[in-house]
Amino acid sequence: MVYFTNSLDRMVPDALAGFARVHADLVVHDEAAGFFRARHPAPGRRVAIVSGGGSGHEPLHLGFLGAGMLDAVCPGQLMASPHNRQVFDASRAVSRGAGVLHLVKNYTGDRINFGIAAERLAHEGIDCARVLIDDDLASDSPESATGRRGTGAAVLVEKVLGAAADTGLGLRELADIGTELVGRCRSLAVASAAHRTPATGRSAFDLAEGDLEWGVGIHGERARRTETRPALDELVTRMTEELLAALEPPAGDSVIALVNGLGGVTRLELYGVARQLAARLDRWGLVLERVLVGDFVTALDMRGFSLTLMRADPETVKWFDAPAHTPSWPR
Amino acid sequence: MLEHYSAQDDAASPDSAVASTTWTDIPAADAAFTEGWMRRFAASVRATEAQLTALDQQVGDGDFGTNLRSGLDASVRALDRAGTVSPAAGGRAGAPLRTVATVFLDGVGGTSGPLFGLLLTELALAAVGPVLDVAALRAGLTGGLAAVQRVGEARPGDKTLVDALYPACEALRVCPEQAGSRVALAHASRAAWEGVRLTARLRARRGRASYVGERGRGVPDPGAVGVGLLLSSAGGVVTGLPSFVPGPVPRRPD
Repeated sequence: MVYFTNSLDRMVPDALAGFARVHADLVVHDEAAGFFRARHPAPGRRVAIVSGGGSGHEPLHLGFLGAGMLDAVCPGQLMASPHNRQVFDASRAVSRGAGVLHLVKNYTGDRINFGIAAERLAHEGIDCARVLIDDDLASDSPESATGRRGTGAAVLVEKVLGAAADTGLGLRELADIGTELVGRCRSLAVASAAHRTPATGRSAFDLAEGDLEWGVGIHGERARRTETRPALDELVTRMTEELLAALEPPAGDSVIALVNGLGGVTRLELYGVARQLAARLDRWGLVLERVLVGDFVTALDMRGFSLTLMRADPETVKWFDAPAHTPSWPR
Repeated sequence: MLEHYSAQDDAASPDSAVASTTWTDIPAADAAFTEGWMRRFAASVRATEAQLTALDQQVGDGDFGTNLRSGLDASVRALDRAGTVSPAAGGRAGAPLRTVATVFLDGVGGTSGPLFGLLLTELALAAVGPVLDVAALRAGLTGGLAAVQRVGEARPGDKTLVDALYPACEALRVCPEQAGSRVALAHASRAAWEGVRLTARLRARRGRASYVGERGRGVPDPGAVGVGLLLSSAGGVVTGLPSFVPGPVPRRPD
């Protein structure tokens, strides 16, 4: 076992128990039902926001649970969707009578389990809507029925939508804002080495020294392309331009960026990435309003990073800047 | 088509059910019937678990039979605890269905199990009266199909359990009220198995089986087989899958 854990089976529950203990001032752990909820949600909020997903992507989503962001989080097993019962119980627990909004990353298991929970909530008279997060440019293919994967945008959407919810907006308005917001986000990830799979201790896939996986996912799924790794500035330039080609922001527009470590890269490297990203955005005449740099959506110990760009109007920037009190929101 | 079928009750095969019973004499489909139906479904899945597992190993991760069986074992225990409430005492035909639905939604892993839970929930919600009549059956199964499609986003032809459920609903749509729900279920079951047979020709576009692509051709969808077992179990216990379902279990002597 390459990972520091008592055993494979205890890796997730031990971490959840530790998280609950350390952040007891901010979160409440319902261990039996398998969810966490915010201890002090904002008083102005009417619609409860619930998210969740497989473990191994920390600090997503638990780190963003609390005032200003999420009301409840349902962690699944390692890289596996939470059970519909967790989502159902969490949604019932935090519902304030004005509906529950599910933020769901676009993976089949998550879609189905959140979907079943939504059906069960409807039977109980709890109104429920969904924002599907599907920002990963590398999985954008007209042949695929499953669509783009959900990755880094989850953090930005959780923040902006949380602040919007704190203004007292209703369920449909928030769902519309969220869907529109996701449409303004695209991400792209690269890796120089896969994560180690806890069950085997071996790399999820093999990559030769000096090679780069272009468009990698956060579950050890291979990218469509493996290539010789270019120098950092060239790599970041190409990633940025691919994102901008998809988002098509006119010169003078504002963007918010996320420079995200996938678990096995250093801040030293990530700031080098951020430097070149900012330089390219300058060259395009775009206004880089805000940047987050660090580990936000990880894939265990993958040696890689992702870039997320969000086109941001003044209201989005205002919501991004609104205070949040959660274990991992950095500002 | 169902020559491989064998059953403990005389009405397990839809064909024999329709042919051999005088339907005007049979008792109404009350809570005792729906409870018996669910218990027979459990027995059918226990009897075919090895075949279901073999099937799912060819197109999925092989846990479908075990998930379904353990969910139904837990359901039978829940039915034992709940006890039967007679229609005279206000027992709703949907109550046993609701008991099983909750076990499936809460306790069964994978994705197919909870989808069966959704289907049974809709059936239970439609069966609010003391008797599950044809209208309630139609509304419940059609509502179940809609819920499964909303959640799973599968259409007919995607090689999922929808391919058995959709033709079953179509069969109910044209079934007259006077037929009674037992005959209607026999018709629905026959249509579902025809749908199961056709899934073998399809390439999966949704669900776990989509990952194996062309390799899954020739193998029917395990979830669709589960729907066939559910509907056939209304008439009797199914002790073997039809011969068009490949598996390691040797063909029984006729």
